[in-house]
Amino acid sequence: MNSSYKAIPTTGEPAALGPGRANAWLDLLQGVSGAVLVAFMWVHMFLVSSILLGKDAMYTVTRMLEGEFLFGRPYPALVSAVAVTVLAIFLVHALVAVWKLPGSYRQYRVFWHHSRGLRHTDTTLWLVQVVTGLVLMFTATIHLYDMIMHPSMIGPHASSARVYGGTWLLDLVLMFAVEVHAGIGIYRLIIKWDLFGLTRRRELLRRVVTGIVLFYLVLGSFTFAAYLKIGAEPAVQAGERYVPSWQQGAH
Amino acid sequence: MEIIHTDVLVIGGGLAGLRVAIGARRRGHDAIVLSLVPPKRSHSAAAQGGMQASLANSLKARGDNEDVHFADTVRGSDWGADQDVVRMFVHTAPKAVRELAAWGVPWNRVKRGPHRAIINGQAETLVESDAAHGLIDARDFGGTRKWRTCYVADGTGHSMLYAMSDQAIARDIPVHERAEALVLLHADGRCYGAIVRDLVTGRLRAYLARATCIASGGFGRIYRVSTNAVINEGIGAAIALETGATPLGNMEAVQFHPTGIFPAGILVTEGCRGDGGLLLDGDEYRFMPDYEPEKRELASRDVVSRRMEQHIAEGKGARTRFGEHLWLDIRLLGAAHIDSRLREVKEICRYFLGIDPSRELIPVRPAQHYSMGGIRTDYRGESTGLKGLFAAGEAACWDMHGFNRLGGNSVAETVVAGMLVGEYIADWCDSPDSDFRASTALVREQGGAVADRLEAIAESGGRENPFEILRLMQETMTDKVGIFRSGERLQEAVTTLQSLLARCRDIGLRTQVRGANPELAAAYRVEKMLKLALCVSAGALARTESRGAHYREDFPRRDDAQWLSRTLSTWPGPEANAPTLDYQPLDVMAMELPPGWRGYGAKDHIEHPDTGRRQQQVEAVQQQHSDRFERQRALLSFESLLPERFQGRNERLAEAKEGAA
Amino acid sequence: MSELIARERRQLELRVLRYNPRYPDATPAFQSYFLEEADAMTLFIALNEIREQQDPSLQFDFVCRAGICGSCGMLINGKPGLACRTLTADLPACINLAPLPGFELIADLSVNTGKWMRAMSERLETWLHAAGDDPDIDSLEPVMEPELAQEIYELERCIECGCCIAACGTIQMREDFAGAVGLNKLARLRLDPRDTRGDADFYELVGDEDGVFGCMSLLGCEDSCPKDLPLGTQIAWLRRRMVASTLG
Repeated sequence: MNSSYKAIPTTGEPAALGPGRANAWLDLLQGVSGAVLVAFMWVHMFLVSSILLGKDAMYTVTRMLEGEFLFGRPYPALVSAVAVTVLAIFLVHALVAVWKLPGSYRQYRVFWHHSRGLRHTDTTLWLVQVVTGLVLMFTATIHLYDMIMHPSMIGPHASSARVYGGTWLLDLVLMFAVEVHAGIGIYRLIIKWDLFGLTRRRELLRRVVTGIVLFYLVLGSFTFAAYLKIGAEPAVQAGERYVPSWQQGAH
Repeated sequence: MEIIHTDVLVIGGGLAGLRVAIGARRRGHDAIVLSLVPPKRSHSAAAQGGMQASLANSLKARGDNEDVHFADTVRGSDWGADQDVVRMFVHTAPKAVRELAAWGVPWNRVKRGPHRAIINGQAETLVESDAAHGLIDARDFGGTRKWRTCYVADGTGHSMLYAMSDQAIARDIPVHERAEALVLLHADGRCYGAIVRDLVTGRLRAYLARATCIASGGFGRIYRVSTNAVINEGIGAAIALETGATPLGNMEAVQFHPTGIFPAGILVTEGCRGDGGLLLDGDEYRFMPDYEPEKRELASRDVVSRRMEQHIAEGKGARTRFGEHLWLDIRLLGAAHIDSRLREVKEICRYFLGIDPSRELIPVRPAQHYSMGGIRTDYRGESTGLKGLFAAGEAACWDMHGFNRLGGNSVAETVVAGMLVGEYIADWCDSPDSDFRASTALVREQGGAVADRLEAIAESGGRENPFEILRLMQETMTDKVGIFRSGERLQEAVTTLQSLLARCRDIGLRTQVRGANPELAAAYRVEKMLKLALCVSAGALARTESRGAHYREDFPRRDDAQWLSRTLSTWPGPEANAPTLDYQPLDVMAMELPPGWRGYGAKDHIEHPDTGRRQQQVEAVQQQHSDRFERQRALLSFESLLPERFQGRNERLAEAKEGAA
Repeated sequence: MSELIARERRQLELRVLRYNPRYPDATPAFQSYFLEEADAMTLFIALNEIREQQDPSLQFDFVCRAGICGSCGMLINGKPGLACRTLTADLPACINLAPLPGFELIADLSVNTGKWMRAMSERLETWLHAAGDDPDIDSLEPVMEPELAQEIYELERCIECGCCIAACGTIQMREDFAGAVGLNKLARLRLDPRDTRGDADFYELVGDEDGVFGCMSLLGCEDSCPKDLPLGTQIAWLRRRMVASTLG
């Protein structure tokens, strides 16, 4: 029988040739790094917003993060270390993303037309993701560089002074970009891997994620206002370090 | 003109054509499939309810076998079928289902334990055995004594076609899509291939082949109201007719499906009734038991459609401004059943009617559905007039359906015929008889004639509009050659169709565009379709009896004495305006199942003089043999006709495959 | 049907994007056709009426006209869909029709989806790879769990209409992307125990940027699928399997 059947039965042996295993790793890496960054950002916002509870609260948080309760005195270098780690993850995330992104302007133009014609939310969101991602590449890098180089400049007064004194525009843009990017990112991640079977319940997922993003934006805005307000205080303008209330009596 | 050589040229990329090509390829012959559309879009995909094969796995199928399937099919055909062919078919059908299972069709499977079923309007609990668990399930269909219709929800044809088409891809079988055969190359009683028009570029190509197989499906689109796809224009059968060298069989046998949605004519499956759905009239009264106490909604399609039209004629239809119709009620099956087993039906109801069939009634009325007639072939699928020309599936009159086809037997036929004819074609290609020297003169002559004809149409400047002629033909056929026929109306139809055929000579085009001009296609197709329509009408006019789907109000009885015969229509020549009709008698003395009452429908018929004698012989044989295989062999021997690879006995739960061979 | 209330008939304007590649000098342009809306009118009915009465040169594809063959995918007011089952009543009086992007244009609304699908099928080997070429068709068939058979059918309902390709953001920028139609088919085959291939074999076919790792999960496919297939879920499932097979 001169059969021309192409199907050669094969079993699950590891592939020697063909597409490299790297593809799977990279895809996973992008997702995991993104998830870690989102987790970091959401925690970070809570920490930063501790200012809303008062200067003492924020002071305590800062000191805690600098390891004071562990070592007996603060080590701002710990913050630097965290920032270096985050920067590393951030760079990995960005590199994988850039590597996966199309390189030519023409492709973006095609996508733009496609997205305009289709009027499809998830497709449009991808463009938002590209734009916020690009914004983050600059703003987040600068911010992280700041944190690595000047870790001690965190505190109720120091931070406020920094924001009020110049980085407010950068920080504001960064905050909006990061929250939107994180929200869309986590939404996309859940869909991409169909976590908790939510791909088929996208409406629900979209509403929950939108809620979270709005929550963080509101929280962030209040926090921002708080720092700006403190930054305008004469004491802060004069460069006084903040002394927590429980130590103020000792003076 | 470009010339392409191959061993087997298959015209039509549906189930039958693809299976023929796979069969030939398996035997080492090259095959090319021509298809009007991408093959997965063929009309085979529209078969919803299922495919009959006597696997006898589920509770309600128990006791089924080839013999029961055979008898059901012959009764369904109103004794018009070729019983040799029916035997070959019922024997191979279980193999076809199993082959498709091996190729990936996700047949619904039997689940052990109790399940709910609606039978005759009542909910019943059926308990499936452990032994049957995981084997292929079957549902009930019209005109059958067992639940025999294997199914994949209500997308059976779709799944079958996709599995088949994927196999063709796996075997590197080229499919030339958007290609339409316009003429069969033939000379001296031999077919050599076809002249084909590329429907993208408009260019003509010649294909030369040892064997040509027409598997282009039916011709439902000669009717205005049809469940058929728009590509079912019967061009494959028409080009065979136009050779003048080979006849079409039983063209007047046209099936009307009881449940086309009203008014669009889109099919909802017989599975709706098989699974327990009911037919209701304008007063939401279940009328079928009054007419057909034995099989009710599940009599054969010809009978149910006729009863429905009769009931409407008695003023019992539901009235809308589109006209009158009846209701199909599947609400009693429950939403869960509809969502899993009848979801295409649900989608069709939602998109075309805006209703939810689990809560609302579906408006239905019979619509043209199937052509039992087609290119007359022998049991090997070879045409009776041209060597090297084969046909399979709905395009053929192989003749396993006679004057009425049972639901679930058509997709079954496509695959079974594909399997068998594929082997016979391979045999033919293996034999030195199939050798031929490619004659370029033939291509030049017959190809040139096609080119000239197309050019003549394009440049004629005639006044007739092909779409207008098409519409008039379709209306004539639906109005005058429908379910209820009479001599008077049929004569009117023939006259009208003849005048339309004459008007075809004066067709002119309003547009001249490069590539495949759709108006030009309409122009050459309508002429071919008119010839088929004339075969149907003239055949119906001449047949002064009622048999199966062919019902004459002026001759309401089946007349075996006069008409136990197959109609053969031949087109005498290019200038002719009517077919030549001839009749091939069926031999009662060779029948395994002599003519009688079908078990439903009309009880009075005029008996053939041989029937009594044959009946006695059959009874004597039945008493002689206790083994059903021996008994069968003594009555009608068919096994030697089968290709060797399909001769094996079918295993069933209750029946080992070895047995007494 | 009987509930349909007779209303004043609308005048429809169908704006069809016309271009015939056999006239390379022409530029694609919308051409307007006007017709009176009829009851239960679908785009199938409307386009045929236009071709028969106004412009016989207009090209489009319909086959089953019942929403099951997948021939008539086109952009209807910018969104991919099956024209045959789209009721004009559900659309505004001005309807834009354009051919499905991503496929070779034949003319006007007719595109060569068949050619694309065949090429995809050959590249991704989307047929069931059985243990041999000669299955035993005389004996009882191998059993399969009823639930599994139904699950496979769910994925098999794809009609290769091309809507998912037209709606795919990824394929806009990555021409050789397998698309949801291809990935779903492979997921269906991976699910089927009759297919003898393992994860590693499937990785060979789609374990790259033109396959499952290229998908950006924008779900234009799922949202445009006329059969409402869980395409996103399937692609995710395939992606997880491919990753798991690499890690494990």
